Amino acid sequence: MSIKRLITFILATITMTMIMTPALTRAQTSSVAASKLDTSIVVGFILFFVIASIVITWWTSRSTSTTSDFYVAGNDVPWVQVGIAMVGSYLSAASFLGCPGDIGVFGIDSIWLSIGFFGGYMAVLLLIAGPLRNVGSYTVAGALYSRFPDNRIKLVVMLCTVVISTFYLVPQMLGAGLLFELLLGWNFVYVTIGLGLLMSIYIIFGGMKSTLANQAIQAVFLFITMVVLTVLAYFIVGEGSFSGILATAHQVVPPLLAAKNQEVVSAISNMPAMEAIATARQMMPTAESAMSIGVKTDNTLAMISTVIALVFGTAGLPHILIMFFTVPSARAAKKSVTLCIVALGIFYICAIILGFLLFPGIYTKLVTWIAQGSTGIGQAKNMAVLEISHLVGGPWLMAIGAAGAVAAILSTSAGLMITVASSISHDLYKVYLNPNATEKQELNIAKITTLVMSAIAVSLAVMLKQENIAWLVMLAFGIAASAIFPPMIATLWWKRTTRQAVIASSLTGLAVSVLFIALLLIKGSKYMFFGLPVAGGPGIFGVSASFIVLYFVTIFTSDTGKDPETFMALAHRPDVD
Amino acid sequence: LTAYRSKIIFNFGLFAIFFIFYMGAAVIQTPSFREIASLSTLGMPLGLLLSMLIFPISWIIIIVWFWRAK
Repeated sequence: MSIKRLITFILATITMTMIMTPALTRAQTSSVAASKLDTSIVVGFILFFVIASIVITWWTSRSTSTTSDFYVAGNDVPWVQVGIAMVGSYLSAASFLGCPGDIGVFGIDSIWLSIGFFGGYMAVLLLIAGPLRNVGSYTVAGALYSRFPDNRIKLVVMLCTVVISTFYLVPQMLGAGLLFELLLGWNFVYVTIGLGLLMSIYIIFGGMKSTLANQAIQAVFLFITMVVLTVLAYFIVGEGSFSGILATAHQVVPPLLAAKNQEVVSAISNMPAMEAIATARQMMPTAESAMSIGVKTDNTLAMISTVIALVFGTAGLPHILIMFFTVPSARAAKKSVTLCIVALGIFYICAIILGFLLFPGIYTKLVTWIAQGSTGIGQAKNMAVLEISHLVGGPWLMAIGAAGAVAAILSTSAGLMITVASSISHDLYKVYLNPNATEKQELNIAKITTLVMSAIAVSLAVMLKQENIAWLVMLAFGIAASAIFPPMIATLWWKRTTRQAVIASSLTGLAVSVLFIALLLIKGSKYMFFGLPVAGGPGIFGVSASFIVLYFVTIFTSDTGKDPETFMALAHRPDVD
Repeated sequence: LTAYRSKIIFNFGLFAIFFIFYMGAAVIQTPSFREIASLSTLGMPLGLLLSMLIFPISWIIIIVWFWRAK
C-alpha cells in the first residue's frame, strides 16, 4: 500500500460513508435512541476509528513481507503491546455490551458471565502461556504437532479452530449489525457486509502486525470508555453509594419478571426509574428481587456448566493462544498475560457495577423493551449500556460508547479472522493440499480464507439475528473448553499422554459440544438430554467427556510422541527475558 | 526435568487454590444454595462477596506466582 493508495482509500471511505448514510437509513427507523441522538456525532466517532485503523494497517503493512511477519509479527513484539492487544482481542461486544446488559435483565445470576470471562485467564497464565510459547509455532495445531508429528493432529485442531472462531465471530458481526440498526436505523445486512470487508482489509494488507497494533489502540479506548462510564454512572445514578446501589437491587423486581406483568408495564411506562422500581415492587410484593438467585435458570447443573465453560474456554481459544507466539520469550508471554489480567479485572468489576446501576438508571426502559417480546429482550441486553451512557453523559458519551462497542467488535473480529486464515493456510493448505507451496502461495490462501470467512460470518449473522451476543460467545467458550483445552494441557504437562489420546480427546470434545449446542438451538433451553440440561451450554459435559476419553485412550495406547522427556524439558525450561 | 516437576507442583497448586475458590463461590451462587448465598456478610450477600473476592484473590495469586516462578 503506497501513500497515494492510502489517501485514495481514506477519501473513498469518507465519500462512501457520506453517500451511504442516507441510503442505509430506513425511512421508518427502528431506533429508540436515534430520536435523541445527533447521528453525525456517532458517525463521526466511528469514521474516525475506521480511518485510524486504515492508517495503522498501512503503516504496519510496510514491514509485513514474510510468513513469519504475517502470522506472528516476526516473534518480536514488545510484551506490553501484546498484553494490551490481548485485552483488545478478548474484550468483545459480549463483554462491553452483554455483561452489564445481562445483569440488567436477570440480576445477580448474570455476574458470573463477567467473573467467568475474567477467571479464564488464570488458567491461561498458570497452565498454558509459558510452555506454549516455549514450544513455539505459528498456530495452536503447530504447537501440538511439535510433540506429536502427525498431520492428523493439525487437521483436527484446524477443524476445531474454524468451528470455535466462527461461533465467536458471528456474534461480533451480529453486535455490529444490531448496534447500527438500533442506534441509527441502518440496514443490518449492509452493516455486517461493511464490517466483514473492513476486517478483510486489516488482515490482507497488514497481517498480525496490523492486527496487534489496531487491537492495542482499540483496547485502550474501550478500557477508558468503560471506566469513565462506570465512574460517571456511579456518582450520577448511584449517588456515590455502593450500599445504596445494593439496597436498590434488593428492592428491584427483575425486569424479566416485571415485563411479564402487563399491569406493571402499563403502570410504570412513564415513571422515572426509582419510582418505577417502588411501584413494581408494590404491585408484585412476593416477586424475586434482582439479588435473588435462580431468575436466569433454576438448574444448578446448567449454571455450573456455564462456569466451567468460561474458566477452561479461555485457555482453549485459538485467537488468544496464537498471541503467545508473537512475543520473544516465555517470560514475555507471562508478563503480557499478567498485564492483561490486571486490566481485565478492573474492566469486569466495572461491568458488574454498571450492570447494577442499570436499575436506578433505566429500569423503566428495560421493562418496556423486554415487554416487546424476544426481540426486546435482545435489545435490553445489547443496548442498555448505550442507553445509560446517554443518561449520564448525553449524546457525546453515547457516541463514545457506540465507538467503544465498534472498537470491541473490530479488535476481536480481526483476531479471530487472522487465526482462521493462519490455520487454514498453514495447517490445511500447506500440509494436505500443496506441501510444496511457496511463501507467496501460502499467504495468498490466508488472504482468500479471510474473504471467505467474512462471507460465511455475515451469512450466519443474518440467520441468527434474534440470538443474544453474550450467549453465542459463551457457546464458543464451551467448544474451546471441550475440544482444545484438554488435549492442550495433556500435551504440555503429561509425559504419558499419547498421540491417539490427544486426537480422540479433541474429536470427542468437539462432537459432544456441537451436539449440545445443536440440541440447544433446535430444541430450546428447557430440553433435557438423557437428564442433562442443555441450557448451560456444553461446558461441563464436553470437558468431562474429553478428559475421560483422554485418560482411557492414554492407558490403552503407547505413542507418547517424539522424545517426551526432551519436549517437557523444552516446554518447561527456566524463564529468561 | 527438575524444573518441569517443580513447575507441575507449583503451577497446578496455585491453579488449584484459585479453582477451588472460584468453583466454591460459583456453587454457592446456584439455586441449590440460595439460602447460604443470601446470608448478609459485611453489608452484602455472602454469594456476592465471595464472587467479588475472586478478583483480588486472583491478583494475589499472580503476585505470589511472579515472585516465586522460575
